Amino acid sequence: MEKKLSEMKYGEKGVVKRIEKEFQGKIAGMGIRVGKEVEILTREPLRGPVVVIVDESRTSLGLGMAKKITVEV
Amino acid sequence: MKVLLMGHPNVGKSVVFNRLTGANVFISNYPGTTVEYTRGYMKIESEEIEVIDVPGTFSLEPKDKAEEVAVEMLKKEKEAVVISVVDSSKVERGLYLTLEIMEKGYPVILALNMWDIAKDKKIDIDTEELGNLLCIPVVPTIAISGKGIKELVREIKKAKPVKINKIIERVEGTK
Repeated sequence: MEKKLSEMKYGEKGVVKRIEKEFQGKIAGMGIRVGKEVEILTREPLRGPVVVIVDESRTSLGLGMAKKITVEV
Repeated sequence: MKVLLMGHPNVGKSVVFNRLTGANVFISNYPGTTVEYTRGYMKIESEEIEVIDVPGTFSLEPKDKAEEVAVEMLKKEKEAVVISVVDSSKVERGLYLTLEIMEKGYPVILALNMWDIAKDKKIDIDTEELGNLLCIPVVPTIAISGKGIKELVREIKKAKPVKINKIIERVEGTK
């Protein structure tokens, strides 16, 4: 099933399927690319950022960014 | 000749910097900003070489002021040799930035820092193969203990720019 990264729940894992074009370059440097496995570590309250684990390292993404990433769960 | 130290935040650039330079160090703000960077000097074969500790950046597409400064500094120093400092336990992430810098035509030396931590995490990197693929010197370092710094210095003069499409050819050849 496909989901937006912003809709994933705590502890959920998935593989990145699509990233909106204009943001690809922006987050590739953080290690998030198509085909990468991501795991949600925390979701901050009050529409705060989501923290994901990619390749051992943690990255936080604002909800706006997270909405632009589609993940296969 | 100038050497730029580049890499993600918290990979040990400044520790490498302190290892390379001596006491003659200047801290200044990048003109027009409050972003600080450090400049120092080292000597190789009696030639004085300026070493610049560039603010940490994740990619060459800046997301904040410090990253903007990092990218601008790289752009300004067209003749510089870049030492790309990478956290050995998160090597893939660091390689993205390294390749971006290589793509811009800079001679790059890859410093696989925190080699001991990668070992603790049971991560082993074939530095020889990586060096062959990228066609750049790859040096494992543990900056806090000083391991690998001598080797790093030795490679500074040898660094040459590499054509990115040659790397793509080589990587595809190994598939």
